[in-house]
Amino acid sequence: MTTKQKRIFGFVVALAALFAVGPVSNAMHIMEGYLPGGYCIAWGVVCVPFLVLGYFSIQKRLKENRKSLTILAMCGAFVFVVSSLKIPSVTGSCSHMTGTGLGAILFGPCAVSILGIIVLIFQAILLAHGGLTTLGANTFSMAIAGPLVSYGLYKGLSKAGVSKRISVFVAAAVGDLFTYCVTSLQLALAYPSEQGGVAASAVKFLGVFAPTQVPLAIIEGILSVIVVIGLESFAKSELKSIGFLKEEA
Amino acid sequence: MKDPMIEIRDLHYRYNDEKDALNGVDLKIYEGERIAVIGSNGAGKSTFFLNLNGVLKGGHGEIIYRGEKITKKNLNQLRKNIGIVFQDADNQIIASTVMAEVSFGPMNLKLPRQEVVDRVDEALNYMNLSEFKDRPPHYLSGGEKKRVSIADIIAMKSEVIVFDEPTAALDPLNAQMLEQVLEQLWGEGKTLLISTHDVDFTYRWAQRAVVFCDGKIIADDTPLHVFSNEEVLKRANLKRPMMLDVYETLTKKNILKDTQAYPKNVEEFAELIDKLSQQD
Amino acid sequence: MSKDRKLHSHGHGHEHGHRHQHGEGGFSIDVYAYASGLRRVNPVFKVLFAVFVLILTIGLDDPFVSLFVILTMAVLSIWKGKVDVRGYCSLMTIPIAFMIFGSVAIAAGFSRQPLGDYNLSLHFFYLYATKSSILKALFLILKAFGAVSAMFMLTLSTPASEIISALQRLHVPQMIVELMNMIYRYIFIMMDTQRKMKNSAQSRLGYCDFKTSCLSFGGIASNLFIVSLKKANAYYDAMESRCYDGELRFLEEEKKVETIEVLSAAIYLVVLVGIHIGVKCF
Repeated sequence: MTTKQKRIFGFVVALAALFAVGPVSNAMHIMEGYLPGGYCIAWGVVCVPFLVLGYFSIQKRLKENRKSLTILAMCGAFVFVVSSLKIPSVTGSCSHMTGTGLGAILFGPCAVSILGIIVLIFQAILLAHGGLTTLGANTFSMAIAGPLVSYGLYKGLSKAGVSKRISVFVAAAVGDLFTYCVTSLQLALAYPSEQGGVAASAVKFLGVFAPTQVPLAIIEGILSVIVVIGLESFAKSELKSIGFLKEEA
Repeated sequence: MKDPMIEIRDLHYRYNDEKDALNGVDLKIYEGERIAVIGSNGAGKSTFFLNLNGVLKGGHGEIIYRGEKITKKNLNQLRKNIGIVFQDADNQIIASTVMAEVSFGPMNLKLPRQEVVDRVDEALNYMNLSEFKDRPPHYLSGGEKKRVSIADIIAMKSEVIVFDEPTAALDPLNAQMLEQVLEQLWGEGKTLLISTHDVDFTYRWAQRAVVFCDGKIIADDTPLHVFSNEEVLKRANLKRPMMLDVYETLTKKNILKDTQAYPKNVEEFAELIDKLSQQD
Repeated sequence: MSKDRKLHSHGHGHEHGHRHQHGEGGFSIDVYAYASGLRRVNPVFKVLFAVFVLILTIGLDDPFVSLFVILTMAVLSIWKGKVDVRGYCSLMTIPIAFMIFGSVAIAAGFSRQPLGDYNLSLHFFYLYATKSSILKALFLILKAFGAVSAMFMLTLSTPASEIISALQRLHVPQMIVELMNMIYRYIFIMMDTQRKMKNSAQSRLGYCDFKTSCLSFGGIASNLFIVSLKKANAYYDAMESRCYDGELRFLEEEKKVETIEVLSAAIYLVVLVGIHIGVKCF
């Protein structure tokens, strides 16, 4: 461990202890029935172009090599499983990663939009996290907006010559924070404050979720780095096969 | 002598840039044979099976099935008639109910719906799985998953069934069940190929033992001959079957008269002893 | 083989023992779905019914309708679906964290002046709530729980595999359906692998403190990924060996839709609308 990582670790421990995280599991999935009908549809429509893009990119990949199908499916299952694992936390509460930032870094944002919506459907069906009517809104925040930011940051930082570990950390953590901001905004749009409207409401939602989401984002960043380090040291050839290590291949 | 059902001529195969996994394999398989394929891990058994079934392509050499040379065009002929039961059932089962899983093969053969239904029912019945029809595979035990993976192949009605290390993850009870199934399938005229590390099983079950070593077949004979060949045993890192050792020790010490009886299992051995004690 | 069957019933009973312990074996919702008394009902019908109830609950936005849906769906799931009451209640608590946080944010506001009916001075500003904002949050909670109940009616009676095949009949693109089918199956395989790795890490004190936990977690996750990529190849081979040619085909049981089911569903939906109109008139 470098001193930098040690410092990050210390920071997280301090943060988590400071906020004494409550019993929160995947709190950023907007629950079933929580959005008015119009917003459910609107967010669904916003997702459509991204999903279509993702669909064609996956289809292209499958045309090149049919075998990618099982690999993609494994990647989807991986995102689901990682997001359903309890992550370590100081207070013993039950929290989860989103896993989509990591997914975006590994598989690219196009594939993640499709895999993400499938994972969200399974989370709704199997775990009752999120819901069917809020699928559009959740897909936009978790499978599109967050991953896009993660991917953009990761590529940008890598190009700027920042070390891989730091770029992965920043990409995953900021992607997670962005997801949380988008979700807060989505809620604020649906439920503006009587005084101050959407902006005040957004601040309220951001504030209410911050104690759980900020430490979570940092933990997510750290875990993503550890996963990527693990993958790089043991699975170079597998990473090449999914295109993660292309630039060095 | 009748013609072989499958003939493999000088088969080579290599994965990516690694060394040859198969390095000139020749084998003739006749209808209704029970063949045990033995050899250490990485000797090329699984690669051979995948080639035999046409999943791995692009190797050198020829595979001739019932007098017809296999090319890209009639590859499905091979897959249809040679079924593989994979070592790890979890790598084979893809559907979310037992019925859907068993139907996968027949559905791919593009059979009419009623035929598929009949075959699935038959295969489930055969493997004693009828009551699990609507269950998802992820709530089945290891032995039950294995049975599902066998039913998968039975429903395809392949002439040849290949078992890749079938007993590897089974408890003794399920291993016994498996042996009964093998007996039954063979009785119905299926040709069986089984890869295994169990020399005792090979000795009592197989008519022919084929020994793989470094991508080549180094012995192909009756189990008795194979296990009597010290050089082969050494090269392939094989142990001798217990019954063979017991019998030879007893004959060497003149406790038993060497009648070339070579009992294959405990029952045959008991019979032999019975006969002797009656003679005395 | 009869002994083997006994072995199974033991294993299954064990799965049933799990209560909302996702990440540690079966998912309780999935287990309930396979054992549900409503499993015989046509899945497309169930999906459509659930969707209509969801649309009405959210569209009518009426606390009485919500309350009615919560109660009737609970009765349906518990009585017809044979979900035990305790299990049902514990499932209902899953979204509770989100609900508490979200509703607090909706009910409460902050301002320099005490604007609400209830005000809490926090030195620099006031935390306030008005009666109408509290009522709004309460109605929203009811509505959300109504919707959750409708979703549970579907998910507790229909295994994911059947929901997927219903989606296929509702013309979701083939590729998505195939991916969903495989992902559903792989999830369980990976959970299994993960559990084994976690046990082995735990047995070597891999979770003794926070830092080690993080390292173990990351290590397991990356290992899981490598193992699953290798499995993906083995899987494809196994599929090809059974003549897979690029399209997943499975035999499905045809579950007939009974007239009485359609009729009761229609009546139920009409009753929902009726309640809404009735409440408005009085």
